[in-house]
Amino acid sequence: MKRMLAPYLAFAKKSFLNKSAYRFDHFMGILNTLLKIFIFWCIYRTLYGARTEVDGITMAMVTTNFVLSIGLDALFSVNDYYLPDRIGNGSIATELLLPVSFQGRMLFENLGNTLFKLFFHFLPAVVVSALTVGILPPAGAGSFMMFVVSALFGYGVLWSVSYLLQMFSFWLINMWSLITIKNVFINVLSGSMIPLWFMPDWMAPVLKVLPFSSIYFTPVQIYLGQLTSQEILGKCLIQLGWIAVLYLCGNFLWEKGKKKLVVQGG
Amino acid sequence: MENCMDVMHLIGVYTKTIMKSWFQYKVDAVLRSLAVFLRESTGIIVVYFTLLKFDTLNGWNVYEMLFLFSLLFVTYGILILFFTGLRDFGHTVRSGGFDRFILRPRGLLFQIIFVNADWFAAIGHGGLGITLFLVSAAKVGIVWSFDKVVYYLLAIFGGVLIQGAVFLFLATLNIYLLETGSLKELFYWNARKFAGYPVSIFHRAIQIGMIYIVPFAFVNYFPAQFLLRKEDMAAYPELFLYLTPVLGIVLYLLAYLFWRYSLKFYKSSGN
Repeated sequence: MKRMLAPYLAFAKKSFLNKSAYRFDHFMGILNTLLKIFIFWCIYRTLYGARTEVDGITMAMVTTNFVLSIGLDALFSVNDYYLPDRIGNGSIATELLLPVSFQGRMLFENLGNTLFKLFFHFLPAVVVSALTVGILPPAGAGSFMMFVVSALFGYGVLWSVSYLLQMFSFWLINMWSLITIKNVFINVLSGSMIPLWFMPDWMAPVLKVLPFSSIYFTPVQIYLGQLTSQEILGKCLIQLGWIAVLYLCGNFLWEKGKKKLVVQGG
Repeated sequence: MENCMDVMHLIGVYTKTIMKSWFQYKVDAVLRSLAVFLRESTGIIVVYFTLLKFDTLNGWNVYEMLFLFSLLFVTYGILILFFTGLRDFGHTVRSGGFDRFILRPRGLLFQIIFVNADWFAAIGHGGLGITLFLVSAAKVGIVWSFDKVVYYLLAIFGGVLIQGAVFLFLATLNIYLLETGSLKELFYWNARKFAGYPVSIFHRAIQIGMIYIVPFAFVNYFPAQFLLRKEDMAAYPELFLYLTPVLGIVLYLLAYLFWRYSLKFYKSSGN
């Protein structure tokens, strides 16, 4: 088992170290995350005005939602251009000859980045936010543990969405437009720009049939203790279901795409 | 006179080649413009949903907010037709493309402005701006008298120049520093993300940044205030309502002088 994992851990380590080389960019990234949180806090502070709660949601809950979901958004590294770039420059041909799984390599390189960001981006950003705009503590030790688990699954959902989409690069030359449109869906429907409590009722069915609300919003709800243990179980199963469905669809396209792969140039 | 004809001819030739290269692949061109349009709509959709729940933001209702956003997008749509070269100037310098410009017998800024134009961005942003204007303009209670139309056009002109000055200033910094991506991200793109909101809702430090440092407030907030006269204007001097066109011209001239001065220090990145 350990021998099998060794090369993937090496990929993860490589991308972890790679990340630590660009310090200025990294610092700017944290500043950017903090600015985003602060801006949304300013907006909601104005929207709430003198009100203590809207639909049972307090300002502190809204702030916590933004700190966690914008933080997780910065934490979850997924390189949408992993496969498209390799098909574009032809290096996919040599990658397929390597005795390691392509998907495994892609996942572990992304995980290496994510691990780096956990310590040097997510945690500092959350600590600074807690000291400035404030954040509610988790509803309990159990809630916090389940938050971590469901955040991991949330990353799985985000990764699988990207995985499935990247498979289209076997057939399409330009992926920028599709990836950009995917990110619009994530931004609007995942709760990182508008807390999903405040979505109009007629959007509820849309949120239900799409995977985006289980990326950040499910972990946030668990953290705040808004769900019963039965609901937590249900929501986590939904997350796992999405991961399975998206990954299997992606794999189906992967097998088809590999067969018709034509690399341009030598 | 002959010189003028020559310039016009050159602009014509440039524009033709730009159009040819951008619209070479038609399906792709449509898809890219659509992607820019949707990406930029993200903020609008969020505001729309939020105000369905909360009705107003510091006294601004949803149509007034859309009108405020429209100014930002219309000016950017126009701006990017002329200033794509400045937006990508860092790349031009690093790849040595700027050295080629220097060797040609035409003005440098002239070449940078007319050699490229990002049509997808222009259609995406401009299209969104016009859509927002059409949706909101009739519903915000503006009586479009002659002087208001003139003011609106002057405000658009000023808004384009203010952002153009920021572009030109950041591009000039490339002469001194090879890599300015992070600075641009912080001072332009970030500021733009929340420039669509009334500046009055923000923390004092951000307000100062948006009014005095990267004056986005004069691109959309104060022009919109001239036309809408919302209550939160009480916090700012009346004079700000009229400054946009003047500020545009002054800032652009200053950025231009900085550019002319800095050119003397240009050193090629290649060999």
